[in-house]
Amino acid sequence: MANVSETAAVAAHPHHGEAHPDFLQHHFDTPAQQFSASKLGMWIFIATEILMFGGLFCAYAIWRALEPQVFDDAHHFLNKIFGATNTVVLLFSSLTAALAVRSAQLGKRSETSAYLVVTIACACVFLVIKYFEYAHKIHLGLLPGHCFGHPGFSGTIQNGEETGTCLRVHADQPGGSPEWVRAVDEDGRVQLLPPRANMFFALYFVMTGLHGLHVLIGMSILTWVLVKNLQGKFSKEYFTPVDLGALYWHLVDLVWIYLFPLLYLVGKPE
Amino acid sequence: MTAAIDIPVAGGHVADAHGDPHANYLKARRGFASWALTFDHKRIGLMYLTMVSIAFLAGGIFALLVRLELFSRGKTIVDAETYDRFFTLHGAIMVFLFIIPSVPAALGNFFLPIMIGAKDVAFPRLNLLSFYLYLIGASVALLSIILGSVDTGWTFYTPYSVQTSNSVISMTLGVFILGFSSILTGLNFLVTVHTMRAPGVTWVRMPLFVWGMYATGLIQVLATPVLAITLLLLCAERFFGIGIFDPKLGGDPVLFQHFFWFYSHPAVYIMIVPGMAIVSELIATFSRRAIFGQFAIAMSSIGLAILGFLVWGHHMFVAGMSEFSTMLFSALTFLVAIPSGVKVFNWTATMYKGSIVWASPMLYAMAFIFLFTIGGLTGLFLGTLSVDVHLTDTYFVVAHFHYVMMGGTVMGILGGLLYWWPKMTGKWHDELKAKIGFVFVFIGFNVTFMAQFIMGSRGMPRRYYDYLPKYEPFHRASTIGSWILAVGLFITAYTLLEALWQGKRAPRNPWGSAGYEWMTDTPPCLANFHDTPTMTRGPYDYHLATAEELATGWDEVEAETPKG
Amino acid sequence: MEPTTAHAGHSAAHGDGSVSGGHDDGQVHAHLSSAQFYWGVFGALVVLTIITWRVSYYDFGPANVFVALLIATAKASLVAAFFMHLRYDSLFNTLAFLAAFLFLGLFILLTYDDLGKRAQVDPEYGGTVLPETGQNAPGGLPATTATANEAERGEAPPGKGVGKKAE
Repeated sequence: MANVSETAAVAAHPHHGEAHPDFLQHHFDTPAQQFSASKLGMWIFIATEILMFGGLFCAYAIWRALEPQVFDDAHHFLNKIFGATNTVVLLFSSLTAALAVRSAQLGKRSETSAYLVVTIACACVFLVIKYFEYAHKIHLGLLPGHCFGHPGFSGTIQNGEETGTCLRVHADQPGGSPEWVRAVDEDGRVQLLPPRANMFFALYFVMTGLHGLHVLIGMSILTWVLVKNLQGKFSKEYFTPVDLGALYWHLVDLVWIYLFPLLYLVGKPE
Repeated sequence: MTAAIDIPVAGGHVADAHGDPHANYLKARRGFASWALTFDHKRIGLMYLTMVSIAFLAGGIFALLVRLELFSRGKTIVDAETYDRFFTLHGAIMVFLFIIPSVPAALGNFFLPIMIGAKDVAFPRLNLLSFYLYLIGASVALLSIILGSVDTGWTFYTPYSVQTSNSVISMTLGVFILGFSSILTGLNFLVTVHTMRAPGVTWVRMPLFVWGMYATGLIQVLATPVLAITLLLLCAERFFGIGIFDPKLGGDPVLFQHFFWFYSHPAVYIMIVPGMAIVSELIATFSRRAIFGQFAIAMSSIGLAILGFLVWGHHMFVAGMSEFSTMLFSALTFLVAIPSGVKVFNWTATMYKGSIVWASPMLYAMAFIFLFTIGGLTGLFLGTLSVDVHLTDTYFVVAHFHYVMMGGTVMGILGGLLYWWPKMTGKWHDELKAKIGFVFVFIGFNVTFMAQFIMGSRGMPRRYYDYLPKYEPFHRASTIGSWILAVGLFITAYTLLEALWQGKRAPRNPWGSAGYEWMTDTPPCLANFHDTPTMTRGPYDYHLATAEELATGWDEVEAETPKG
Repeated sequence: MEPTTAHAGHSAAHGDGSVSGGHDDGQVHAHLSSAQFYWGVFGALVVLTIITWRVSYYDFGPANVFVALLIATAKASLVAAFFMHLRYDSLFNTLAFLAAFLFLGLFILLTYDDLGKRAQVDPEYGGTVLPETGQNAPGGLPATTATANEAERGEAPPGKGVGKKAE
């Protein structure tokens, strides 16, 4: 048995050559098998990410149903222009990611690098805009839980008098429960938000925060792919990591496609 | 001269220097690094096996402590708060560190590629990563013991888990990391089964153990992410007080239970389906017959995977859900009994007119059927809404899940270990000791948990530190049963370990099985098969298997050993 | 030279539709779209974004969320089908993607349904009622008082009072 198997083994897997290129891992028989396995693996991973984010969408659905008025009022505090810009930025970055994969498939190394760089740059733009949004909210004290309307974050606080863009309306309560907040929203209207509005901002921060974390991870992955591309590891025959990195990036875009309308746009227009 | 099959190994693209791929995988490369950085699914499986065994020991020690405390009313060995920590740790360790990873990560990792004729899983590096995630997650979770220890019960219900001791965060983060380990294992198996089956291993012919691992992988991949977000939200609730589960802030504590049980109910199918998968293999081999209704059993595994997602609310009947939901979930729960029934009937039909061999693995398979049936039937009591109102949170529930998880899966694991030990280690164990161990395990188990059914139905609540005098005889019986069970488990563990050091060499196919995994060497070579097989028959086709395939090889081994 | 391993009847190895039918050489043959096509898809996505923005200024009542989700799903489908190549890949990849949404939908549906049907005991009618509408809760305790029975028969106003959440 040993002799037969050895010969067969040698025949089956010539060491380096046409049938067994460097990028082909040893437990796979052909590059096509490896490629389809990698893609399937990535899609299953994407499915798990959808389910994870999905839990947050479930919480969103529940609270929106429980407190529709709060949602309608509170969502005006989100800057639609920033949100829409971020949407277009991410869509554009998805385009460049897809183009990067296309260039990799054609074996055009520098073009691939260029597209990857643009994609990563778009990610940076997204995060910068996000930073401004978060900073503004923190300044207004529109934060989850106990921090909502907390005097430490609000603008000028004077009991009963409107002096700035944010004001605590009710006096301190023992136990540190959240306060009502009066503030000027992004459309210029003065709004009075009940303590329960902290739930909207809780969802906002957790959902966009988790999304932002994935943007960071996506950027890291794409940077790694860029580095490998610059080192010449990819070719017409082997571009799987570019494909998988782009798939992850598209997932990040997909989540935002749903986040944007649900957080920024949905609610009764005035 | 050395074959050109390259051995997957960390850090090296080609590893031909250190290890003949046709050599026994245990000997091919040596040294700590060759294990710690291995990509070989067999070695990873063994490392997992070692770790889950240690987890089982730890969880078991906590169980014995719990039972010891309950031996008498009032304080026996510890105070109430410590008791709470004991049962929480017992539950959390057993669920997250032992039973969920055990079969897939240990036996599944070892045998799934072999059973489909592949050289390894689809993503060996992810496989090693999932092992390290398991180690890290387990460490972080157990760190909670030092930090003050969790006393919420393994289910971490809010609002208590938001308010109680600090170590909830480390326990939940640990479980979060363990969840990723589980997801990666499931992902690996799904892709492996889809893309790496050898010629002739069609979906219909695929061994039932593989079908079981596939169904388990489906559940792992679909359910665990929701656990991840649940735990993240719990941590956010603790850290930032975001209020998602706090009624004062507009939240809903029952929502936590929805989130938690959406994972944890399918999780129990992650626990049982692999056990059933092992039993299918055992019954086929030890009845020496093709499995009756092989494809039906395969489909019932998938059926359990899918139906298991529909019934999570049955853990929440008295939690404060709407009445409508309770009725809906109760009705759906009855559906989920059907696939299990299919299996039990088909196994029994397989044995009818078979040539039964009462080897120790078969004894465990029989115990599985008997004990799982009891556990499953009592599940119907609990699924019946009106009855559950009385039985919920009593020892009836505790006994139910121990019958299915321990009487089910653990019996399956022990049977599987005894069955595959020769294949994995190349050593033969003492069957007599194994059978003696089985007797202790079986008797001890039933004494421990049957007493719990009785006292549960008479109203003894679970997780209680102290109890009324009328329950004391039952608690005493249960505790004594736990000691008998512990003895049995130690005897079994001893049998397996003894084989490693003093066992004689095992033949290639000691049980005379027609299964695919018995076609390889014992223990398998690094690449599993010397060259990729083409399967021309199913794994249970005894009528098609050649004499050579079924030959045990005992005569060769007998001829070798000096003393007869 | 090639033994049984690489390709014989090996639908598993070539399960991915991105390996075009006729090619059995084991090499990767993934579908290639033109750059123009990708730009076209991007254009469509931008148009849909503008639509979703404009539409947010109209009030469709409870259908607001559905309209928004519909447009978002259209965008997501474009990204998934073309940027992510699902349209040209193995069908199973699409199945994995959709399965996630299916199970997610199941989770959201049943949880939402539970929270929507939570009832409170209405002392005036002796049964459990849904807070917002005052109607008898499905599966809950039936009303026991005469007034409630009248309500059932449409002869008296439905439940009121209890059920308002504390402010």
